[in-house]
Amino acid sequence: MRAEELKGHLDALLLAALEGGPRHGYAVMEALRQATDGRLDLPTGTIYPALHRLADAGLISGSWSVVAGRRRRVYQLTGAGRRALAGKRADWRDFAAVISAALEGSPCPDPA
Amino acid sequence: MPGPGLIEDYRAAVSGQLPASIVDELADGLAETYRSYLDQGLDPDAAAGAAVAEFGEPALVVATFTRASPARRAARRLLMTGPVVGACWGAVLVAGRAWTWPVPAAARVLLGMTLAGAIVLLAVAALLPRYRPARRAATAACAGLAAMDAAAIAAVTVLARYAPLPVLLAVPASAARIAFTTRAMRSVLRP
Repeated sequence: MRAEELKGHLDALLLAALEGGPRHGYAVMEALRQATDGRLDLPTGTIYPALHRLADAGLISGSWSVVAGRRRRVYQLTGAGRRALAGKRADWRDFAAVISAALEGSPCPDPA
Repeated sequence: MPGPGLIEDYRAAVSGQLPASIVDELADGLAETYRSYLDQGLDPDAAAGAAVAEFGEPALVVATFTRASPARRAARRLLMTGPVVGACWGAVLVAGRAWTWPVPAAARVLLGMTLAGAIVLLAVAALLPRYRPARRAATAACAGLAAMDAAAIAAVTVLARYAPLPVLLAVPASAARIAFTTRAMRSVLRP
């Protein structure tokens, strides 16, 4: 799955990857790869800007540490980030159910 | 040592274009990527090449950072909301028959140049695909707009008894923009 196909969903994926606890940028990418059996084809370097954008929006927070002589920024979900993730999950379930109904003839969910 | 050399080359490629904290973060991520390939059994040269391929070329990463930068977001919001604030003050000027005011020509020219300069700088920050120049342009534009808004509010406060009714819209609009530009400057200048 390529970067352009993820447009609009990257924020939710990053928030979900941080749900299990604080991670640095590379660990976030690793978590996404493991969760998707390596099917996400996203240049690792491009998730850092998205993490910064989420931090600016107050959905995650970053803190610095030093590991093996290198400065490392570790991110974790904020309360607003947890609420945003819950909302994005609900939106995704609705979206997926509606598209599945259209493409595969599965029952369309009742609007909430 | 290809690995550390590769990381230093990558750092050099992005360090002139991105803030130091972002460069440190990218270097750490690239080092982790390289280490993971070594752990998978690749030799250092192959691990180095695979790490850069997975991480993305420096130009791609810089471009992605620039598109997501606080400077670009602030510039676009100010360009979108600017006409609303401008229309409010335009109504003040028309309702107050501003062409009859005894404002020195130099002050009119200064006001016009500041406004035009701020718009040009915002356009540069919103469109330029380079992080640092976009940051400088957005900061200067925010400072210019905040100064103009503050001066306009001060002027109508001093001349309150002559101010026409649309100031009731224009002053809150400018006050809101001062608050936004102040927050935006803090975000844009964050190291």
